[in-house]
Amino acid sequence: MRVLLSFLLLLFLVLASSAIRSSSSPVTDPFLGISPQDEKYYKSSSEIKCKDGSKRFTRAQLNDDFCDCADGTDEPGTSACPNGKFHCRNAGHSPLVLFSSRVNDGICDCCDGSDEYDGKVACSNTCWEAGKAARENLKKKIQTYNQGVVIRRKEIEQAKVGLDKDEAELKKLKIEQKILKGLVQQLKDRKEQIEKIEEKERLEKEKEEKERKEAEEAAQPGKGDGEEKTDGNEKVEGSTDGGEMPGVSQDDEILDENEHHDETGRYKDLDTDEESAAEAEPTSVLEEGTHNNPADQHVVETKEESPSSEDLIITAGSQHDGSTKKEESDEVKKEEDIVSEKKEALSKEELGRLVASRWTGENSDKPSEADDSPKADEHENLEHTPTSPQEVEEDDGFVSDGDEETGDDGKYSDREPEDDTYEEEYRHDSTSSYKSDAEDDLDLSETTSSPTWLEKIQKTVKNILQAVNLFQTTPVDKSEADRVRKEYDESSSKLKKIQSRVSSLEKKLKQDFGPEKEFYSFHGRCFESKQGKYTYKVCAYKEATQEEGYSKTQLGGWEKFENSYQFMTYTNGDKCWNGPDRSLKIKLRCGLKNELMDVDEPSRCEYAAVLSTPARCLEDKLKELQEKLEKLMNQDQPQKHDEL
Amino acid sequence: MRSLLFTLSLLCFASQTSLSWKKEEFRSCDQTPFCKRARSRSPGACSLIATDVTIADGDLVAKLTPKDNDDQINPLVLSLSVYGDGIVRLRIDEDHSLNPPKKRFRVPDVVVPELEEKKIRLEKFATENDPPSSVVYVSDGYEAVVRHEPFEVYVRERSGDRRRVVSLNSHGLFDFEQLGKKGEGDDWEEKFRTHTDSRPFGSQSISFDVSFYESSFVYGIPEHATSFALKPTKGPGVEESAEPYRLFNLDVFEYEHESPFGLYGSIPFMVSHGGTGKSSGFFWLNAAEMQIDVLAEGWDAESGGGESRIDTLWMSEAGIVDTFFFAGPEPKDVVRQYASVTGTSAMPQLFATGYHQCRWNYKDEEDVAQVDSKFDEHDIPYDVLWLDIEHTDGKRYFTWDSALFPNPEEMQKKLDAKGRRMVTIVDPHIKRDDSYFLHKEATEMGYYVKDSSGKDFDGWCWPGSSSYIDMLSPEIREWWGGRFSYKNYVGSTPSLYIWNDMNEPSVFNGPEVTMPRDALHVGGVEHREVHNAYGYYFHMATSDGLVMRGEGKDRPFVLSRAIFPGTQRYGAIWTGDNTAEWEHLRVSIPMLLTLGLTGITFSGADIGGFFGNPEPELLVRWYQVGAYYPFFRGHAHHDTKRREPWLFGERNTELMRDAIHTRYTLLPYFYTLFREANVTGVPVLRPLWMEFPQDEATFSNDEAFMVGNGLLVQGVYTKGTTHASVYLPGKESWYDLRNGKTYVGGKTHKMDAPEESIPAFQRAGTIIPRKDRFRRSSFQMDNDPYTLVIALNSSQEADGELYIDDGKSFEFKRGAYIHRRFVFSNGVLTSKNVAPPEASLSSQCLIDRIILLGHSSGPNSALVEPLNQKAEIEMGPLRMGGLVASSGTNVLTIRKPGVRVDQDWTIKIL
Repeated sequence: MRVLLSFLLLLFLVLASSAIRSSSSPVTDPFLGISPQDEKYYKSSSEIKCKDGSKRFTRAQLNDDFCDCADGTDEPGTSACPNGKFHCRNAGHSPLVLFSSRVNDGICDCCDGSDEYDGKVACSNTCWEAGKAARENLKKKIQTYNQGVVIRRKEIEQAKVGLDKDEAELKKLKIEQKILKGLVQQLKDRKEQIEKIEEKERLEKEKEEKERKEAEEAAQPGKGDGEEKTDGNEKVEGSTDGGEMPGVSQDDEILDENEHHDETGRYKDLDTDEESAAEAEPTSVLEEGTHNNPADQHVVETKEESPSSEDLIITAGSQHDGSTKKEESDEVKKEEDIVSEKKEALSKEELGRLVASRWTGENSDKPSEADDSPKADEHENLEHTPTSPQEVEEDDGFVSDGDEETGDDGKYSDREPEDDTYEEEYRHDSTSSYKSDAEDDLDLSETTSSPTWLEKIQKTVKNILQAVNLFQTTPVDKSEADRVRKEYDESSSKLKKIQSRVSSLEKKLKQDFGPEKEFYSFHGRCFESKQGKYTYKVCAYKEATQEEGYSKTQLGGWEKFENSYQFMTYTNGDKCWNGPDRSLKIKLRCGLKNELMDVDEPSRCEYAAVLSTPARCLEDKLKELQEKLEKLMNQDQPQKHDEL
Repeated sequence: MRSLLFTLSLLCFASQTSLSWKKEEFRSCDQTPFCKRARSRSPGACSLIATDVTIADGDLVAKLTPKDNDDQINPLVLSLSVYGDGIVRLRIDEDHSLNPPKKRFRVPDVVVPELEEKKIRLEKFATENDPPSSVVYVSDGYEAVVRHEPFEVYVRERSGDRRRVVSLNSHGLFDFEQLGKKGEGDDWEEKFRTHTDSRPFGSQSISFDVSFYESSFVYGIPEHATSFALKPTKGPGVEESAEPYRLFNLDVFEYEHESPFGLYGSIPFMVSHGGTGKSSGFFWLNAAEMQIDVLAEGWDAESGGGESRIDTLWMSEAGIVDTFFFAGPEPKDVVRQYASVTGTSAMPQLFATGYHQCRWNYKDEEDVAQVDSKFDEHDIPYDVLWLDIEHTDGKRYFTWDSALFPNPEEMQKKLDAKGRRMVTIVDPHIKRDDSYFLHKEATEMGYYVKDSSGKDFDGWCWPGSSSYIDMLSPEIREWWGGRFSYKNYVGSTPSLYIWNDMNEPSVFNGPEVTMPRDALHVGGVEHREVHNAYGYYFHMATSDGLVMRGEGKDRPFVLSRAIFPGTQRYGAIWTGDNTAEWEHLRVSIPMLLTLGLTGITFSGADIGGFFGNPEPELLVRWYQVGAYYPFFRGHAHHDTKRREPWLFGERNTELMRDAIHTRYTLLPYFYTLFREANVTGVPVLRPLWMEFPQDEATFSNDEAFMVGNGLLVQGVYTKGTTHASVYLPGKESWYDLRNGKTYVGGKTHKMDAPEESIPAFQRAGTIIPRKDRFRRSSFQMDNDPYTLVIALNSSQEADGELYIDDGKSFEFKRGAYIHRRFVFSNGVLTSKNVAPPEASLSSQCLIDRIILLGHSSGPNSALVEPLNQKAEIEMGPLRMGGLVASSGTNVLTIRKPGVRVDQDWTIKIL
């Protein structure tokens, strides 16, 4: 009887204690949650050290659902330690390390279901399926990388070629520049000489004239001295203009001025059509840009064109900035008064809008749709950047690659083997990627097509100088004088072009094209993405914008690459109401073509986007992915829920 | 020209937004005729005398007439009621039998019906002759006195010196303007800026003085961003230009952190406390604009000083005198007495006591999914994700922007699968759009507030032209509640809860950004009479709607910005649009202490500050303080940078995660405190003097606060601080929450305040229940074991409580809960049931760790009864996980005692 009783008591105790245990079901595998690499650490002795060295615990304390080590060493398979980590093997898929907070929390986190073992939820093993999908994805990714790496290599090669060419050109241009400078100086001297003589002649003539007039006046009094005045005007014109180009002499500018006055006809006898196109106004630059013969294009920059439009934007931007700041500091008080005065006279609706605008930052004067998103409003309100000529250039300026030799067209499409129609498509759609910098597309074609142009000029100049030299005495032969002038104008304008090309090349070569120059082809390119009503346009090394209809907001000017070329950043864009200056951060990732996507504004006026590009298809990364895949393929198929 | 105009408007706009609070847009007392009049009245101006004193219907009643009633002014009717537990109610109104032009507004649905059960029906009164007075019994300790000439009402102790506690009209400042009938040529209009108030009944204000005896300070009357102990606003030593504390619910853009100015809520309840350790309270149930002066000592030269009395002047634009005197004497008695009039705070669902993540706005479903997954990625628990106004279709509440939120149900279900809830915003302004179903229905049913001409009031708010539901009417409230049914609120699911914003109400083009005072509510009630309660009725309607939605089985969660007495019964509140500045972090504590003291314990300030961008250090410190706010939510304006906890570098993420973990660890303690507040009205967040009434050093301390009776927390409110001076009250010791270090009480300690945490201490003699495992949300913590932290006092004793229910339903009202009391005494820890015997709820949860602070080391085992098992005692970490554990402080720990949380047991230290 007594035995029975004590047996019952024992039974009761066992039951009671098992009831107690029931809420935290025991771990059947003592090494649950431990990664294979770590098993040795746990199995080596019966007393195990907390990894942080704070304590020791016994084998029995391992996974006993009570936290002994603050770092979680003793509870890899339970949720007892907040700092613990649970390792699921996920046979058939990749292993996963979880925060211990996920163990037995009723949510299946591991595909093998090993994190949920207290019986509250039944997790099915989905590793094989998930693993298959992951492997497929990985394979696809590797495929992309495989191709991307090739494209990237080619781009690097082309970059080398391009850079060499740029450098060679620069070197050559610098020599030409030096020679031409000398010629121009000679012509200038001669021109001044002629002009001196002419002036002398003129004065004499004037004197004669005057004397004659005086004689006539004596007979016919009351007439003014109009002719003299006209003369004076010309002089004024000649000397007050210009001044925008550093390093260009005053006289050059005067000539420049003249050039403007007399544009047509001046180039009549120039060698090529391209040249005249290059010299003309931006519209003709566009023609240049679209024309489909990339051969013998050598691009020059004319200072009066693209750079000045760039300047315009910068100036406009800084003016805008400046005035905003000024508004804030100087005029706040005044405006405040105006506002409060105004408020007294506001209609009820206006007052409502005004007060609402404090919270929203919206323009309270906006007549309708108070429910529009503030973002939309602000764009509507802020887009007042004038449409610059440059913008027009970019819109149409499709050029495959300015520096490519004939036949490079084919080469170019080679670079996009996965999508032959890509280029075509985008040319017409004017979307993703294209050349932007008209300045680079300007052609100094004669530099390559007729390498003797300089000699020609030298010869011509020599001839002229000799010819003119013959006329040491007055009067100057009119046609010879004109010839000197013309030759001077042409030469100095050519010099100007070379100078600007030199500075543009120098600027380009200073850019960060990446460790292997893999971003060289980005130079002068823009990438576009349409999202809803906005078109986002990112021009490498230049600026990023958001366009809606005719309004355009600058999201930022080019800043730099970041995080070892994983990001492109644009900063100091248009100011935001109540917010920071706009900025854009673009994540770069491997892709077969340059494609801008996922533009987002996670925080007010701080934009983010993704750009896929072959430039990021790194060989190391490809190797890494291949190794990962290999590992996955070598994995055993899961034995059915072996952990459960 | 257009572009010039454009630029000009931009200019105005830029300057507009760069400026903060616009003082001139709000009425000062000088611009408010009733306030100006009342403030300029001299003491003793009141000539009313009490006559015809008698008992009627259990009340003491009397007439108040001017002493020399030459002007034949109608007498007022005074009635005095007494309720159990030291509550005296004094009402004064016009005599309805004399046909006043209309009935003055009496605020309905605030005083709880249960109060009637506590009423002590008076049958007799005593008369005293020097001076002539009528005296009635209140409780064993107190009696109420009506002095006849001049009339004065006060509560006094019954024994000893019969010391006064609270009195009304002791300085003769009582004034009651009776309603008028507008005659020819009467110009009763009041103009403020471009607005005109027609005031059809003329002046109807009421004012009087109230005195608190044996008081060092007065507290209460939220909502103001100012110190906890109320500074004098008038009298010697106070600037002439100082404004009284204003109670007028207003939507103030970028409020200042130190101002008596009216904010979003109004609770005309004041508490006094003095050096004798005694407290008393005074509450005026009135929903019209109120202004309250705290008068500096010596303001009334006639009445003499020196008796540590605080005099106050109460002024209201309309309504009646319906006031309550609370005799105390303990601070907790006063709040309990107030709670028995206006109700205790509702028991929140467990999830609502966790961390809330909000922003204006999480843009779309992808954004929501992204933010949600980031919390998991960084192992930061949170319970609720919030959607602000942009989630709607053009600010039409109960709708979704179909482009941004095409699948709201699916979105909520995804969150729900992780045990997380969602909150959407629903405001009281309804877009005047004929194609909007809600507007159509409200218009057809005539449910809008009317303007003074009787047309539907049309004001401007987020949606543009808007009308406002008339929440004063119970019928309309019921209709409104029905809007929250799953059928009516398309796209809502059972895991969706509600946020009521802008319910002051905010009217962008109204006077002082609110509704004109002559707008009309049901029954011809003028908005001026009901203004401060408008948001309260809205909150009530929404909350009741959620109860209806859940068929009475799901506790509602509704956050409101506007506040009125009784708000605590309907949900949480937050302190509105604060700013990302250190001073706003600092002022959040006095604001929340004040709210808690006046009933609204479930309150919090936006973590990080709504406006502006907090520097990481400020944000971290804010999370560290905010983890102890009863309502714990991060929120931000849409112009601010993203500030989710993982955006400021690894170290800062770690610090914020640890702050949030601290909160989750303490959830069992918080939940128990919420239950205490639900039963007694004693707040979760308490001023130090509520726990240490005798300790005068605590009376004006509003940088430190108590969480329950067991935790003292001191925020860090300045940049770059790594040290703090903390005053620890009382005679017993305090244990540092991080490392168990002991500090003696009654002393200011200088200590480290490293970036890891703010100073926080457990009071010796208390037991605090914790749950040390971290989960995605409180939902997954349900079955996790408990830790008990026992902080022993000098007699090696401690006690504490633990309350558990299902965390969501109303079953606890039917007894489905666990309520344990843990007592440690004579080396034995006992778990006792303190729930009524019929209460029943079982739980499989274990207590798997018991930490003993202040126990001498030595014992290495404990005996657990009735299991008759031994449990090991060893040294273990004080705090689990987080940053502090790594510092390796080990404390005496009973390892796996294996006791269940729902059972009786003892553990004896061997």
